[in-house]
Amino acid sequence: MESIKLRKITSIWIITILLLFIVSIVLGILMRLNQAGTISETPTTFYINMTTHGLTMIGIWYVAGMAAINYLMERYVKTNFTVNAIAYILTVIGVFLLWTSTFIGKFHAAWTFLYPLPFKIMWEKWATPLFLIALTILAVGWLIWSISLVTKILKKYTIAQSFAWQHFKKNPKVETPPFILISMISLVGIIACLIAAAILMAMYFAEYFSNGNFVNDALLMKNLTYFFGHTIANEMLYLGLAVIYELFSEISGRPKWKTTWYVALAWNCTLVFILTAFFHHLYMDFVQPEGLQIIGQLASYFASLPAAGVTVFSVFIAVYGTKIKWSLPNLLFFIGIAGWVIGGLGAVIDATISNNVVLHNTLWVPAHFHTYNALGNVLFSIGFFYWFANQFTENENSEKYTKYILGTLLVGGIGFLLAFYIAGADSIPRRYSNYPEELVSGAPLALMGAIFGSIYLIAILFFFFNISKRCIKIIFSPS
Amino acid sequence: MYKNYIFSVVAFCLITIANGQTVSTDLKEEENIYEKIYDAPLNIVGESSLQFHELYSTNPLLLALNFTRCSGVCNPFLLQLKESLELKDNSYNVLVLSFDSRDDLKDMKRLAESLQLDNNSQWKFATTSKIEELNQSISFFPVWDSTKSQFDHDALLVGINNEGYITKKLIGIRQGHDLDLLIASVNNIFSPTYRLPNKNALFSCFNYDPTTGKNKPGLGLLFIALPALITILILIIISLFTKRNKLE
Amino acid sequence: MHQSSILILFLSLAIIGIIVFTYIYLSSLHVENAEQGMSNPLKKRFWFILILFVILSIFASVTIPKSPYYLFADETPAKVIHVASMQFNFFMSEKAIDPKLPVGEAIEIPLRKMVEFRVTSLDVNHGFAIYNPQNRLITQTQAMPGYVNRLRYKFNEPGTYNIFCLEYCGMAHQVMNSSFIVK
Repeated sequence: MESIKLRKITSIWIITILLLFIVSIVLGILMRLNQAGTISETPTTFYINMTTHGLTMIGIWYVAGMAAINYLMERYVKTNFTVNAIAYILTVIGVFLLWTSTFIGKFHAAWTFLYPLPFKIMWEKWATPLFLIALTILAVGWLIWSISLVTKILKKYTIAQSFAWQHFKKNPKVETPPFILISMISLVGIIACLIAAAILMAMYFAEYFSNGNFVNDALLMKNLTYFFGHTIANEMLYLGLAVIYELFSEISGRPKWKTTWYVALAWNCTLVFILTAFFHHLYMDFVQPEGLQIIGQLASYFASLPAAGVTVFSVFIAVYGTKIKWSLPNLLFFIGIAGWVIGGLGAVIDATISNNVVLHNTLWVPAHFHTYNALGNVLFSIGFFYWFANQFTENENSEKYTKYILGTLLVGGIGFLLAFYIAGADSIPRRYSNYPEELVSGAPLALMGAIFGSIYLIAILFFFFNISKRCIKIIFSPS
Repeated sequence: MYKNYIFSVVAFCLITIANGQTVSTDLKEEENIYEKIYDAPLNIVGESSLQFHELYSTNPLLLALNFTRCSGVCNPFLLQLKESLELKDNSYNVLVLSFDSRDDLKDMKRLAESLQLDNNSQWKFATTSKIEELNQSISFFPVWDSTKSQFDHDALLVGINNEGYITKKLIGIRQGHDLDLLIASVNNIFSPTYRLPNKNALFSCFNYDPTTGKNKPGLGLLFIALPALITILILIIISLFTKRNKLE
Repeated sequence: MHQSSILILFLSLAIIGIIVFTYIYLSSLHVENAEQGMSNPLKKRFWFILILFVILSIFASVTIPKSPYYLFADETPAKVIHVASMQFNFFMSEKAIDPKLPVGEAIEIPLRKMVEFRVTSLDVNHGFAIYNPQNRLITQTQAMPGYVNRLRYKFNEPGTYNIFCLEYCGMAHQVMNSSFIVK
């Protein structure tokens, strides 16, 4: 019975996420079309779309990861359905309030809402507190969910076991499944970054209610903002990886992946790196002490070691010369890993301080994080959604469409991303509603991005209709 | 109930602390930076006359503008400066220069004696015949008030490095950290950034200490470390309070 | 040109990555014996990680000293230009800028002489980014309220340099720009 409720709430999550994804993609395409000069939005409208697009995307792929691990975690420990449902309700309320503050209140401080911009009211006066409240509601719901899942894990495993420390010894008596290890590591990072968000919100509210008597330090606020933002964007990726460690071998018809000492080591190191890499967002703030800048570069560089050396290599070993039962879910996982690696290349290049001088806040930045997501984490999640739907329903669209769907996805995705990378190397700034005439390549590349983005959208629409149809069946089925 | 209480106390404390904070920034100190000071002829107490460049080329200088008939800020300014600099190193000289044409070397000698600095080789007291040109080069514009027979002027300290460039200016009576920055600047120690004056440093992450060239941790650093610390606390608390069916 | 080499590096590595992934995928397609797989995976993994570590360390040790913070630290600038950023304008002046009445002027920078920009913001975060006459980004620093960032640079090419705001600051962010001449 419990698992039926979980099945249904997961289906509700999936449909909600895919729907919001499509709306966000459309907002994104409209942005690129505006930059191309094909359509004409007022700058305010553009920046409203930009703010909404960014926050919605981060929000939905984060909850996608959470919903996925919540569902799979039931294999190992009993999870709390009520908390899951509360998180859903608070997420929906939060997103609704967020969209009200942006679309109706005209709030447009970008998804990073960098202090003191939210207080420079260029929109409805109530939009700023509403925005902050929306974020607070989201943070509360997600914090409750994360703490609940951690509690459930710790009901069965000790802290040391949940971090797989016993695997450093030979022949451990208790085996920590990789899924539990990665989920635990990710959830700990998520709790830390949500607490940072809570502190950030507290500082914002303190200044808001003090009527100008209490003024925050801009540097501290920026550190907190990026501690929260960078970490949550990376953690949602790791949640997707937890799913892969659990499902890839299963879908491929291969033996289950096990935790070894180097898997445990890699993921424990990842926790440290992920909490210190965020300094790379402040390279161009010369006010930041040089030590922190260097920590940022080193953490950003060496975070790629466990990622590449353990996860990616494990996928290589699992696939190379091995009889794999390929189907859409594990193909999506495989392509997603490739996208993640390539996004990582762009990221490490940008995380080099001497490169950052000429790349910071150009389109190179959205280039690398859209790679991580559009051809990385999104595919991890959609792979899970597809697999999940397959568990309980018949798939009428036979696998013959796989080739075409993946082809469309790749053509659209790669073209869309290339436009960003080339523009970034051409010094085109990010977050510009229109490009100055001196920067001639801005508009044509924006058009290229819009066209290929639309092709990518076609593939996503296929997934939306295919998966949502089946999820609706799951929600309304009696058993 | 208690939560409201605690919140009110915290909020009260924050607001009281914050009330000590002013938001204005004094950008007059940014004038003339890296411009050369006027190479005025100086008459120095107890030494032969020389051009300014001969003085700063041997040792960088902190230039204090003053006049002996001052009934205002000059004396407290010099006294405070003397005290603040006592504990600092000798990598520079202090030049107390009068901008009042009525002052002569006897007046300056008396001033040095009153401050008990007449035998201190680090402190030099001087007059110049080209005070107008010098004032122009450091944007110092004292105003003569004939009713009080006094000059109305800023308390000004100018840092000059050994090439004669104005590296930093401090307006008003300053101590500690600001003087350290001034001394570092005349010794050509570069810092890629600095905080604007009058900024409340309560929540900054680091405070730059120019004497050591290192950053001292500030309260703001705690805020960044806090999430990780609280998370660890949460983990431990959860672990202690969950009734476990632990695997053996 | 810095950015071109970055793009070429990235595209080459990306293409190599795609080839590797494709190769691995293809190797799994016509496998008869289910237990074939990769030989000596642990050893290969170890070498892979080691090589990656060495490459990253080389890049780190070469690039970290090239950080912009202490560039030209030992030299005296020929000119100091004060920059006060405000929504949505850059006020640049050789004299200090009064925050209550910010006023800018046309700036001329001497060729091949090191200059220092002192950059701050009078309201929100802005980005002070300098583009050369070919409209390539050559250097930048953030403008943060309450702090002054010192950016030192030597311009070796004469012409008009544009400044574009590179930190999102509101609805006119895209038209916040300025310029100066180097001659």
